Amino acid sequence: MSATPEAPSSEELAWRRLDRRMLLVHPLQTLFRALPALLAILFVSIGSDDSDRWELLLLPVVVVFGLLQWVTTRYRISNGQIELQRGLFNKQTTTARLDRVRTVDLTSQVHHRVLGLAKVEISTGSAAKDRLVLDSLDVERARRLRAELLHRVDPAIAAMPAPTGPAREVPTAIPDAAAVDEELLRLDPSWIRLAPFTMTGIASAAAIFGFLSQGVGRFSEEGDVFESGARWVRGLDWWIDVIGLLVVVSLLAIGAYLLSFWGFRLNRNQAGSLHTRRGLLTSREVSIDQSRLRGVSLGEPLGLRWARGGRLKAVSTGLEGERGGGSDWLAPPAPVAIVTALAVEVAGDREAVEGNLTQHGPAARRRRLSRAMWLPIPVLAALSAGVALLGWSGWVLVLVIPVAALAVWLGIDRYRGLGHRVTERHLVSRNGSLDRARVVLDRDGIVGWKVERSFFQRRVGVATLVATTGAGQQHYDLVDLTPARTYELIGEISPELLAQFS
Amino acid sequence: MAVAVGRVWHRWGVELREPANLVSPRAIPMWTVGALLGSLVLATAQVGWWLLDDSPFRQWHYVVGAVWFVLQAAYVVVMPRWRYRVHRWEATPSAIYTQTGWLSQERRIAPVSRVQTVDMARGPLAQLFGLASVTVTTASAAGPLEIEGLDLQDARALVEALTRAAIAQDGDAT
Repeated sequence: MSATPEAPSSEELAWRRLDRRMLLVHPLQTLFRALPALLAILFVSIGSDDSDRWELLLLPVVVVFGLLQWVTTRYRISNGQIELQRGLFNKQTTTARLDRVRTVDLTSQVHHRVLGLAKVEISTGSAAKDRLVLDSLDVERARRLRAELLHRVDPAIAAMPAPTGPAREVPTAIPDAAAVDEELLRLDPSWIRLAPFTMTGIASAAAIFGFLSQGVGRFSEEGDVFESGARWVRGLDWWIDVIGLLVVVSLLAIGAYLLSFWGFRLNRNQAGSLHTRRGLLTSREVSIDQSRLRGVSLGEPLGLRWARGGRLKAVSTGLEGERGGGSDWLAPPAPVAIVTALAVEVAGDREAVEGNLTQHGPAARRRRLSRAMWLPIPVLAALSAGVALLGWSGWVLVLVIPVAALAVWLGIDRYRGLGHRVTERHLVSRNGSLDRARVVLDRDGIVGWKVERSFFQRRVGVATLVATTGAGQQHYDLVDLTPARTYELIGEISPELLAQFS
Repeated sequence: MAVAVGRVWHRWGVELREPANLVSPRAIPMWTVGALLGSLVLATAQVGWWLLDDSPFRQWHYVVGAVWFVLQAAYVVVMPRWRYRVHRWEATPSAIYTQTGWLSQERRIAPVSRVQTVDMARGPLAQLFGLASVTVTTASAAGPLEIEGLDLQDARALVEALTRAAIAQDGDAT
């Protein structure tokens, strides 16, 4: 459809439909979704003597249903709004004001990519209900729509005859993106070596293990295969098992890295909007409007830290983070020098990204350590119960020592992770050990303050300062500061607030 | 309203004082009744256990009953009074400031320029005592400012003042 240029007036103001090629996909998608039900019906009827294959009649119904989806879905941009209409009997119209559009994501699964299509998701807030989904448009048309939405091209102005005098940029002709965009980051295949140091491998291994152990219970014949496999693994030396496990987890991590980050690119256009593109099979394009960006989060989880890696995410309003399929990535796990340089580039504040942080003091350190002791105490209790009640050897109590040592190390590392800094434009906070992140938050993005003091915090005289914001996690915490320091920070960033209440 | 500019407050020893206003004293009976209703649930569970338990030994019933009775009594007596001493609020033309909690305490400040909605709510208990609560939300999902147990007149005046101040501001407050 995009191949035939239409007059802007009719194209911009009239109702538009999804791409015609979706006619190939919608019926198939509907069919796939209905497949379990269809199969169930088929199985049931195989057992019966009834020779009528009446269930086959359902197939055309499903296909027609898919067609109707295409026929009944239409959208248009008019009067500063985008409208999306869906449904045959239950007509639904969703409307969003263009100036409230925060992000526009393009996602192409494999079947979309084969047909040159992309699903467009338009978000106007952080809640799922604030999303308009157009499944799907031609990729080029989807990109034009995105440009139109994010840069608020007014079709009424674009349709007007060009004025005399100096030539003006014609907004409908969105300049060739690749030509003017500044490329900030492109995936270097050597970064894949960092994949085994992320948690994704372990997470996928756990998911697969859970799936298999469920499956073993269901299908007893295949269960034999798994059991003999398990016996074989148990028969090997323990160190071979460990190496095997590491290899499997690493391969899974590498696979996951390739799937989500292959072809990763981060561009910045002239208007300052950030634009990422990534994915091996399913490709995702995310645009983050400059005016919605409230900072960056520099992630350095334990494993990556050991491998001198890091990752970068955007702190932005309207992005859904993990729930939204991780649309906030600005850099995949990559060498820390590259990630830091990128963070400086995006935040425009070297001091905030690289500067030393103020530590939170001895009380914070004691609290990290005492809280870490929650790890060995239940272990000790469980082992003691085992010795007392189940007649275990007293030697098992020795196991508490490494656990306690680990806990102490964790407490110290968590304290080392704590830190904050105020720069001219940003509030920097860092915390965590296993999942450490340094958040560079735009001071203008802070919409309020909280000073939290739990019962135990009040006893030792510390407080947690929380900067609330409409972006990212919605709140960023500076844990266990002295109260004087919290007030000082509020006074430094929001002097007019402290002045009124001091 | 004093406005300090620049580095004046960048020094040690600046205190964020408590918000100026207490909530209505009628909040104490409101919180007490709320806590009593909560302990009613526990009492029901206790009675149900008494009726359903067939064993002739009842001493565990007395132990459990005594423990929760003492804890609940302490909670019902102490919590509302403690809360009343903590819960405070203050609104200026440009900011709103609250303090809440009892064992764990919390202060929240938001500039009026970042306020998105101002709600007044009156639950059944609040209506019984002629009270209302005002909730002020910002663009952040974390930390709406809630003032419980306000006198109805005060709550109305506060909502009106905040709404007027918020309308005077531009932008979408994110």
